Amino acid sequence: MVPLILDFVACARAAGLRVSTGEVLDCLGQAGRIDPLDESQFFSLLRANMAKSRLEQERFDRIYHLYFHELQREIEDPSVSIAAQTEEIDAQVRAMAPRDPIAGAIADFLGGDPTAYLHLLRQIDGEGDSGRRGPGANLGSLVRRLPVLTALDQARTILADYLAAHRRQIHWEARRQIDRHIRQRLDSARRLLTEPERHAVSAQGIRRKPPENPDRLGERTFSGLSPAEVDQMRQVVARLVRKLKDAVGLRHAARSRGLLDVKKTLRRAARYQGVPLELRHRRRPPRKARLMVLCDLSGSVWSAARFMLNMIYAFQDCFDRVRSFVFVAGLVEVTGLFDHHDIDRAIAKVLTETDLEYGAATDYGLTLRQFRSACMDAVNRKTTVIVIGDGRSNYGNPEEGIVAEIRDRCRRLIWLNPESEAFWYTGDSEMRTYMPLCNEVRPCQNLNQLSDFIRDLVL
Amino acid sequence: MNGFDSVEDTRRALEAVGYICTPQVATVVFLAAATDKPLLVEGPAGVGKTELAKAVAQSLGRPMIRLQCYEGLDEAKALYEWEYAKQLLYTQIVKEKVRELIGAAASLSEAVERIAVEESAFFSERFMLARPLLKAITAPDPVVLLIDEVDKSDPEFEAFLLELLSDFQVTIPELGTRRAASIPLVVLTSNSFRDMSDALKRRCLHLYIDYPPPEQELAIVRSKVPGLAEALARHMVAAMERIRGLELKKKPSISETLDWARALIALQLDTLSPEVVEATLGVICKHREDARQVAQQSAKVAASS
Ligand SMILES: Nc1ncnc2c1ncn2[C@@H]1O[C@H](COP(=O)(O)OP(=O)(O)O)[C@@H](O)[C@H]1O
Ligand SMILES: [Mg+2]
Repeated sequence: MVPLILDFVACARAAGLRVSTGEVLDCLGQAGRIDPLDESQFFSLLRANMAKSRLEQERFDRIYHLYFHELQREIEDPSVSIAAQTEEIDAQVRAMAPRDPIAGAIADFLGGDPTAYLHLLRQIDGEGDSGRRGPGANLGSLVRRLPVLTALDQARTILADYLAAHRRQIHWEARRQIDRHIRQRLDSARRLLTEPERHAVSAQGIRRKPPENPDRLGERTFSGLSPAEVDQMRQVVARLVRKLKDAVGLRHAARSRGLLDVKKTLRRAARYQGVPLELRHRRRPPRKARLMVLCDLSGSVWSAARFMLNMIYAFQDCFDRVRSFVFVAGLVEVTGLFDHHDIDRAIAKVLTETDLEYGAATDYGLTLRQFRSACMDAVNRKTTVIVIGDGRSNYGNPEEGIVAEIRDRCRRLIWLNPESEAFWYTGDSEMRTYMPLCNEVRPCQNLNQLSDFIRDLVL
Repeated sequence: MNGFDSVEDTRRALEAVGYICTPQVATVVFLAAATDKPLLVEGPAGVGKTELAKAVAQSLGRPMIRLQCYEGLDEAKALYEWEYAKQLLYTQIVKEKVRELIGAAASLSEAVERIAVEESAFFSERFMLARPLLKAITAPDPVVLLIDEVDKSDPEFEAFLLELLSDFQVTIPELGTRRAASIPLVVLTSNSFRDMSDALKRRCLHLYIDYPPPEQELAIVRSKVPGLAEALARHMVAAMERIRGLELKKKPSISETLDWARALIALQLDTLSPEVVEATLGVICKHREDARQVAQQSAKVAASS
């Protein structure tokens, strides 16, 4: 069993599972304790040692199935040996491009060793992440897949030609088996190439394994991301907010222990002949943060707004008193939507079921007036107000007076601008007007800036 | 019993104490118990992670020591703490003795010197408050150590745990090193709030428990709520499966299934109609919107397969 396991490990590593030597040794050490003929036991042994998160498990299952099922498929009738012929076809596939790693990998794969092929796929995907951005950001990895697809087709042609050319020499039954055998392997290879890994959706919907290297996404502007990357970003944002919540919780915990209450401690000490045996602390109720978030959803900031909605959703999930609003021309409160739906549905509902006129010209002035009449009373010294938008108000009245009023009433007014700073003072941007009125203005164009903001946010 | 004999034996032993599991779960538990490897159990809330640890302890006849993790948990709460109050109290009581001791001292430094010699009297086990981890290590007989919801602890604490899990010994500066007499079987559970470090995962065998397949859930209902009629139990488990298929904020887990079964008995209901589903929603769904969604689909949910 040892060589089999080691061989599988090589395969799993080629597919990107990080299996340490220690884990391999553990696995080999435990192998003697199970019944190797009971597949469920064998499978559990390998999986418990090699795949240690939900995401890894999925990849593991795939490789396991490939290695132990697809590639080990018994040849139907062992009395008809087709080994010589399949080897010959192998050699022809390899020879179709002698120095090309793709041909070599496919030939190996046909011969039952998927390592090189899996490795190849990983490179294709790995490069896919840092590929070109903008529309068609996925094109990179598609384009890289193309030569592999072509090579698989060529291998199929080689198979057909071989069978046609040897019609006389090989018995029809053997021909049928050769055809089946090679075609099954080619199909497996094609499936690995074209069926993307599903992402583990866990019980809570957004709780997936965070991307392995979020920093790589950090500098990319929100507008140039593939759907998979959008997804990764979302997880990072949710995780950050959760961290923030934990940090806030910790501060409260530390504070509620509080300062030493000398008076009470001394009073207590009277019971113990004046020795301060029991220390008494001043208890202060934790300050409940209140958050109001206003998010611009107009076309000019749309790609960034999607992330902002994610962030706002996460805020609302984590903190007690958050009120969320979105606006284009006019303001709509979405707190209820976020409270009652899972994240995807909530965002979909924000986009479809609110009275927001997405086509309308953004009007910050109107939005602010509506905010003043509906919510200004709720703004007080405990409230942190966050406005997310580019301040492009189509030359309408900016109503900066209301911004000043909010700033005066609230604890802190923060403006996040998803537009590049270089454009803040051009065209219809009112940033020049709003900027001096806020306690803080930040550019927020990419994940790093958003993360910094979440980290710095002291509620 | 000091271990299980085989995978099948593990499964049966767990079943005997009321824990019903798949052969896969049994395999990993068996391997962990057989090789003294810590076991990291992940999965959604309420699928029986904590219960697994309890069942393992019970079936092995070992005591279980539980460390519940939370944000801010530190060594003092997890390992040991000096009982300063008790030390002070003792000082008060033995004041006279102390006075005698330092009475003849020529200088302050000599007095301090004399007290220092007696220091060990105050830093002895008598004044130490052992917390779960130290208890598990110093226990004379092997125990099951449950480190529950380890994902809630801080990364620093995780690093400390890792150290403990690699050599099962702790050094108490005043008392020296304590090494485990017998390696405890460690079960860590996580709801995947955050990812555990690679180093910790490498130390452990990994087990992911998902919502149970219908036959297993049915078996659990049968064993935990024996009063429920078989047909109704089947119907209910099938309905639960459909509810989990909806896009809910929080999917109901085994605990909700059991609550639901008990509610049906308490209400003396013997069939599952859409009306019954709607009337008992509170037991299944914790979120209002989830409940609304299930109510909307109640006809589909309650369909008899
Ligand atoms: N496999 C099982 N067999 C029997 N009861 C189970 C099983 N899984 C879960 N339960 C029941 O479900 C409830 C929730 O389990 P618990 O261990 O608290 O979940 P978790 O720790 O995963 O959140 C427990 O009361 C337990 O009785
Ligand atoms: Mg639990």
